Amino acid sequence: MNDKNVHGVVIGSEFAEIGVIVDDEGNGPRLRLEDRRTGRVRHVDALELEAIIWLPEGHLRQLLDPSADRWREDIGR
Amino acid sequence: MSATTSRAGRTTAGIDYSKLIQPDRVHGSLYTDPAIFAEELERIWYQGWVYVGHTSEVPEPGDYVRKSIGPQDLVMTRDKDGQVHLLLNRCAHRGNLVCEDARGNSNSFRCPYHGWTYRNNGQLLGYPYNQGYGGKGKLDLAMGSVPRVESYRGFVFGSFAHDGPSLAEHLGPAAGEIDRLAALSPEGEIELNAGWLKHRTRANWKLLAENETDGYHPQFVHGSIFSVTGSPIGALYSDKSTAVTRNLGHGHSENDLRPEFRNFAEPMRWFGTTESRVPEYVAAMRAAYGDDAERILIEGAPHVMIFPNLFIAEIQVFVIQPIAVNECIQHATAVQLRGAPELNKRMVSQSIGSVGPAGMLLADDTEMYERNQHGVEQLRPEWLDLSRGMKRERVDERGLTIGTATDETGMRGFWSNYKQLMEEGR
Repeated sequence: MNDKNVHGVVIGSEFAEIGVIVDDEGNGPRLRLEDRRTGRVRHVDALELEAIIWLPEGHLRQLLDPSADRWREDIGR
Repeated sequence: MSATTSRAGRTTAGIDYSKLIQPDRVHGSLYTDPAIFAEELERIWYQGWVYVGHTSEVPEPGDYVRKSIGPQDLVMTRDKDGQVHLLLNRCAHRGNLVCEDARGNSNSFRCPYHGWTYRNNGQLLGYPYNQGYGGKGKLDLAMGSVPRVESYRGFVFGSFAHDGPSLAEHLGPAAGEIDRLAALSPEGEIELNAGWLKHRTRANWKLLAENETDGYHPQFVHGSIFSVTGSPIGALYSDKSTAVTRNLGHGHSENDLRPEFRNFAEPMRWFGTTESRVPEYVAAMRAAYGDDAERILIEGAPHVMIFPNLFIAEIQVFVIQPIAVNECIQHATAVQLRGAPELNKRMVSQSIGSVGPAGMLLADDTEMYERNQHGVEQLRPEWLDLSRGMKRERVDERGLTIGTATDETGMRGFWSNYKQLMEEGR
């Protein structure tokens, strides 16, 4: 990634630390999110961001359940 | 069967507070006996209203700050609906500390021990590998919360008692002193967002609470800061002063300096300055309050101790946190008046000068607290005298007891309330 395209910040708390970069490498901008504690990366495009904004609160809370996705017996890491 | 007395106020039936607390004196063991401290926690700190924090410390949804009620570690949060909660900082799983930072923004909290996750209202959102509990949502657990939370002009108080007097009943006339402070803001609002200093103090918390409206000590203990700064405040605490010490009831008390400031009738004298030095502030006040601004600017800020732990000292707010019978923490911050940036800068610099790490006011008081604690641990004489000004007390037009600027009227009010709380229902 070219330096000129990197506009990074860290959204951090005592609970999590996420590196956020606007990634212009593709044909359009997207966010590059990095879990700085594990190195895991996800790119999020505009439509996906819109979906997050429109998530009902209850749905977002379900995602915050540690067993919802990340820490489940039936999912390998 | 009559109980036998083994030492002053201590019987086989327990502690007899009516023996330890008398109208004109209190027993030294009240400051040194761990059993009394344990009873205070139960009867005062875990029953009555205790000041915790200010809503301006959690202005945005998701904001949280670490706070306390005595040794209890609390998290004050603001949820997505704007409601303020007081949570006990303890995971419902194995009791681990959930929040470690002094402040932050997070709508949910994850315990670092096993990953249990909570909403910032304390509700359990989930736990990792849920099959160990039979699946999702199988546990009826949550972070603990302080059952009653009320605020007055942004000052948030908590009570561990499910029932009891309302905050308004607890504050009584002391609420008017908070109103006076808020009136010094052109927008009528206080903010406590300048950051907190913490001073660990090897003294019983009551020595601090009593000292806050003791007008007898300033000329001795604070002589150095008064002389260095040329402050006119010292003279207000003399026997010639027209200022009064007022028992506000429920253990609250104040040094009311307004009679002196009214005599001078100089706006901003209470702050040790003149209106020409803070023209923007004075203009904003006159625009906001019209003719009444003159009175507000002359009378200045309150000097009030709100039982058991909130001390508003004109330009600063102190919170007393007892840790042990002979140890407490003093939390201090500068008052910030909404809509008054010009004065707020001076509030911060004055506060640094008085209660900062090299400040000259709190260090002097703290030296006295620690010497006092050492002194009361000595065996003789057993009592502390509380009689100053008893014979010249009066009742004011509101029916409140007042003494002169140097009288121990506030302390007697403190002990009268303390005794009632410690004896209630025994």
